Amino acid sequence: MSKRLKLTDILVTIVIAIVFGLIYKISGPLYDIVKILGFQAEQLTYGIYFIAAPVAMLIIRKPGVALLAEVAAAMMEVLFAGSGGIINFYYGIIQGAFSEIIFLIFAYKKFNLPVTILSGLAAAVGSYILDYYYGYLVDLAGWNILLNVVFRFLGTMVISGFIAYFLVKALEKTGVTNLVRPASKDDYDVLNK
Amino acid sequence: MNSYLNPNQKWLARVNPTLKFLTIAAIFMIYLFVHNFNVMLVSSFAFFIFYLFCNGFSRKLSFWLVTMTFILSVFSASAMVFFGKGTHMLFEWHFMTISIESMTRGLHLGLRTFVYGMLGLIFASTTEPVPFFYSCMQQLRIPPKYAYSFLAAFRLIPIMIEEYRIIRAAMKVRGMSEEKGLLAFYRRVKRYAIILLAQAIRRAQRIAVAMEAKQFSMVKKRTYYYKIGFSRYDLIFTTLILFIIIGAWIFSSYVPLTPYNNVLERSY
Repeated sequence: MSKRLKLTDILVTIVIAIVFGLIYKISGPLYDIVKILGFQAEQLTYGIYFIAAPVAMLIIRKPGVALLAEVAAAMMEVLFAGSGGIINFYYGIIQGAFSEIIFLIFAYKKFNLPVTILSGLAAAVGSYILDYYYGYLVDLAGWNILLNVVFRFLGTMVISGFIAYFLVKALEKTGVTNLVRPASKDDYDVLNK
Repeated sequence: MNSYLNPNQKWLARVNPTLKFLTIAAIFMIYLFVHNFNVMLVSSFAFFIFYLFCNGFSRKLSFWLVTMTFILSVFSASAMVFFGKGTHMLFEWHFMTISIESMTRGLHLGLRTFVYGMLGLIFASTTEPVPFFYSCMQQLRIPPKYAYSFLAAFRLIPIMIEEYRIIRAAMKVRGMSEEKGLLAFYRRVKRYAIILLAQAIRRAQRIAVAMEAKQFSMVKKRTYYYKIGFSRYDLIFTTLILFIIIGAWIFSSYVPLTPYNNVLERSY
């Protein structure tokens, strides 16, 4: 079974990314409003920006899907004048790449809840690389950085870990995932019986 | 030649989309490493002027988007201004510690966000998805299966929005939107997400099969309906951008508007 991305995989990934891209664009202003309090409460919702990669990967299960989904969602935000502008593109690349690495480590064979949570957390780690340069994060007061990190990781675990995983579980029940997933070894075993 | 251009469009719409995107992406990297508050101040002013003259939005939409970007910039400055590290205290109240250092660093961040926002708006308002992805295929050699997938996916957005309206109306008829509370909210979001995603995936899969049958993924010997090249507008665009960046730097080294030449320095 070919592991390379076909047009079908790409189009489905991008469509999933666009659904989440719309959600990113809508949640952008809400996120910004909570920001003014300064107590980093907005970080609890930061995890929403990592969700496209694990959801697309859990559905399609092919190498490169996580990166493509996150970049496509970011690109869509840039083209439709999402808040933040061009910076979203870079965040998309770095978060997608970090998310992808986790699935790569498990050789694209494990798609369970812990791996999903790990991929979300990896994206969060990736986002801090840009934050370090962009947001002068280390120059905040110590307790404020701590709040930022704790909130972001907690939110990520819930949103792009648990919610992403159970969303795809619910989608599996509708049967659409069978349309786009590559045939697994189990499927071939059934034929050989 | 087949033209994708609307005659009323601004000149920036005629700049090669790939070039425009790469230039703006490069400006992002440049300003990530600018820690001089004066340079940031002058550049953000210059890019704002550039935006005012060259954006492709209607006046009303432009006003609201600029206001949004401005508010976003103020917000992104707030955490640093209020809770940043610093030794020259201006104001202290419980957790809040505003120092000269945290204030300049915060304002610097705000201006940086503003510049990135302006650049994003300039790009979004003068770039159509169709020429952008055609240009990606021709100038960046992005495989057609990626570019056409993006274009097909954009076409699905209005259908998704229509579908969202139908689901909402159907739920209203059944009295399902009346429920209140967190659990009901969760159930509602889940219902919308599942239906929208499932339908979108089904549709995307069907379209992809049709596209593959029509050789949209073919790479060799491709011809393009829209041919996108370079023109004098590309030269004008890059010259203007270089002028702003270098000009802001030279101006603020001769006429420093504030004493804060490096926001990362610990003392002044």
